[in-house]
Amino acid sequence: MPDKDMKLISASGIHKSFGGVEVLHGVDLSLAPGEVLALLGENGAGKSTLVKIIAGDYIPEQGRITCSGVEYSSLDPIKAREAGIRMIFQELSDAPTLTVAENISMGLWGATRGIVSWKKINERAEKALSMLGVDIDINKKVGKLRIGERQIVEIARALSDNARVLILDEPTAALSSAESERLFSVIESLRSQKVGMIYITHRLDEVARIADRVNVLRDGSVALLADAKKATRGELVSAMIGRDASDVSHPTDRPKPGGKILSAHNIELDRAFSGIDFDVHEGEVVALYGKVGSGTAEVAETIFGLHPEHRGEIKLNGKIFSPKDPNTAIDNSIGFLPADRQRLGAFMIRPVAENLGVPSWPRYSNHGLITVAPEEKAYINWTDRLKIRSRKDPKQKIATLSGGNQQKVLLARWFEGSSKLLVLIEPTRGVDVGARRDIYETLRRSAKEQNIGILITTSDHEEVIQVADRAVVMSKGHKVAEFKGSTITTESLITTAS
Amino acid sequence: MTTVNDTTKVADVTLKRAGRSVPELAALLIFLVALIIFFSFASEYFLDIENGINILTALSVAGILAIPGTMLLIAGQVDLSIGSAAAFAGTIVGVVSAKSSLQLGIGATILVGVVVGLVNGYLITKIQVNSLITTLGTLAILRGLCYIVGGGQTIMVSDFSFLGLDRPFLNLPTSVIIFVIICGAGGFIMKCTTFGRSLYVIGANPAASRLVGIRNSRVIVIAFVLSGLATAVAGLILTSQLSAAAPMAATGLELSVITAVVLGGASLNGGRGTISGTIIGLLIIGVLNNGLVLLNVNTFWQDVARGTLLIIAVSFDQFRERWAANRK
Repeated sequence: MPDKDMKLISASGIHKSFGGVEVLHGVDLSLAPGEVLALLGENGAGKSTLVKIIAGDYIPEQGRITCSGVEYSSLDPIKAREAGIRMIFQELSDAPTLTVAENISMGLWGATRGIVSWKKINERAEKALSMLGVDIDINKKVGKLRIGERQIVEIARALSDNARVLILDEPTAALSSAESERLFSVIESLRSQKVGMIYITHRLDEVARIADRVNVLRDGSVALLADAKKATRGELVSAMIGRDASDVSHPTDRPKPGGKILSAHNIELDRAFSGIDFDVHEGEVVALYGKVGSGTAEVAETIFGLHPEHRGEIKLNGKIFSPKDPNTAIDNSIGFLPADRQRLGAFMIRPVAENLGVPSWPRYSNHGLITVAPEEKAYINWTDRLKIRSRKDPKQKIATLSGGNQQKVLLARWFEGSSKLLVLIEPTRGVDVGARRDIYETLRRSAKEQNIGILITTSDHEEVIQVADRAVVMSKGHKVAEFKGSTITTESLITTAS
Repeated sequence: MTTVNDTTKVADVTLKRAGRSVPELAALLIFLVALIIFFSFASEYFLDIENGINILTALSVAGILAIPGTMLLIAGQVDLSIGSAAAFAGTIVGVVSAKSSLQLGIGATILVGVVVGLVNGYLITKIQVNSLITTLGTLAILRGLCYIVGGGQTIMVSDFSFLGLDRPFLNLPTSVIIFVIICGAGGFIMKCTTFGRSLYVIGANPAASRLVGIRNSRVIVIAFVLSGLATAVAGLILTSQLSAAAPMAATGLELSVITAVVLGGASLNGGRGTISGTIIGLLIIGVLNNGLVLLNVNTFWQDVARGTLLIIAVSFDQFRERWAANRK
């Protein structure tokens, strides 16, 4: 029988390495029943590695983990499950075509000799939802629910499966403020059921709002462990970024921007963003900075014609521009890089030269007749200029290139296509450090030399500092700040975006 | 097809690295030559100019349909309605030429072919019904219309031998000449036109092609119209060969066509395939059918042989992909 002060989880001295590189250097973490522990840290600080160790997905090289007084030398997913540890991922793992009740009972059908008892299933669902204090129709298909409700259904599923520890990975990232409020009240109900919660977030205002304690990770170590109600915003930010923040340097070239290429005035898209204003000048790199779900990607997609239902005024070279589909944008010399390279960017099974040449086909062709010669020549040309490190074989499939080199090819696509405005979503996502530097250099150089405007969206503040002349900060679909030149700093970006 | 398979394709794709088309065609060619050598020894009638022309004549109708069929499969689309559409084309030329003139009948048939292609293409791109299901629907509709429009009767068409029976050039029937011309045109389109190359790009990744300025819908509708035109030509040839249009004509023809296209190396996931591969696939099926007839093998066993061949070809493709993935 666990005593009253028994910790649900007590981990100490956790070390974990991947491929010889240590990513956690002796981290401690504890969680009491009914406690909410906020876990903060930059991308790559080790948050997800730590929670995956607690969920039994990774085995640490060193360290002790005790769950409700039972010590585990090595926790695996099954043991973690038996200990009542459940993780609610950002990507929902529900079954959208089944009902709420079926989702909550999934895997726990309560069947006798293979015959499912619908009465038991419905009772279980009703009970779990009422414990959370929410009212969701259990006969509704989960796919018809809003994202926040689906998240609550997943929490209800964990609860009815005897969860004692819930790990919530940025649960409000995709939620509206009303849905966030509802989640917070669910968290309060869970607290009163003595469920312990580890709450990963990027939003500093949520820490004091719902957490009891806050644990900040930086570079694989605990940088701060504090009372969540007492820690100031400034303390949290400096614990997150540490001293290393000053190492990120601004680009030295500051070209004098030319005329306005793009100007957006009070543009708006339902359920994504509203009241957004910004300009992009010739020779200028503008970054739309915000956390995932802040609406930056949707703004970029709107400029490229993927959301024809947007409202507000967009001007291109001083003339009203209504982007209704990608062709309209491309015809107006706008190039676009989607975030998901594999799914939306590359033609993986096609030759690398073709991947580079497609947008330039209208220029290469004559009355619909075309050869591969111009695009193969273009590929050879761009491998040098963009430092694409690969065999100079234009016929090799793009899948044979590394992620960074693929991304360079997808950028070269639009340089070859003589775009005047590039709209790039997360241009260095999944790209290694070396290629990342090449890409920043290319973007700055081509903006300056070819006098093109570049609009990037990113959730990485270092990227903004390294590449942007101007930064527009967005949060929850609104523009919250704009910085220029040397006023773009880690502090200014993080403080305004969260 | 493509939309459904998107995610799995992305996962597969990174594994398929080595260039494949050349060794694939070589393997098919070796198989074709082996078949020819086998039948040459097995039957004294096989290796003969006239028998060669027989083989080509027998495969010309399926061949004419297989060229646009290859284009569609490369773009990730399937047209199952081709057999019924060819029969319907025959019915139209029969009915119209009986009421007025043969010329008007041919004209009406071509028009109907274009309309069938437009309808298929429109349903698939605008209403976004999967091509397999859409054309399964039009397959049934067109077959039904054959019986309704033709009154369920075989319609005799007189003085219409030039497409199917006449041999105007090098002792080759007109149908073979048309087949050869369409093969040449198809190869040229796929290699040297933006339209043909767009089909590859759309098949490889339809979501990405839209973002680089390819008008997916327009390209796919044109490909279906080409398929519809080919069914009109095929229906005219069939009618001319028999001097009659039967409502049950060309039943199951779509299966032979898809067998040849897949055998020729076009991927069911789109983005991959060649006209030359399809031609070799057609020749393999043609030689196999002809050889089995010469060896007096029961026609039902020919169906068994063709089906087995298809499964072997596709399994072979899977094995090679797995092998390539392991080797990486």
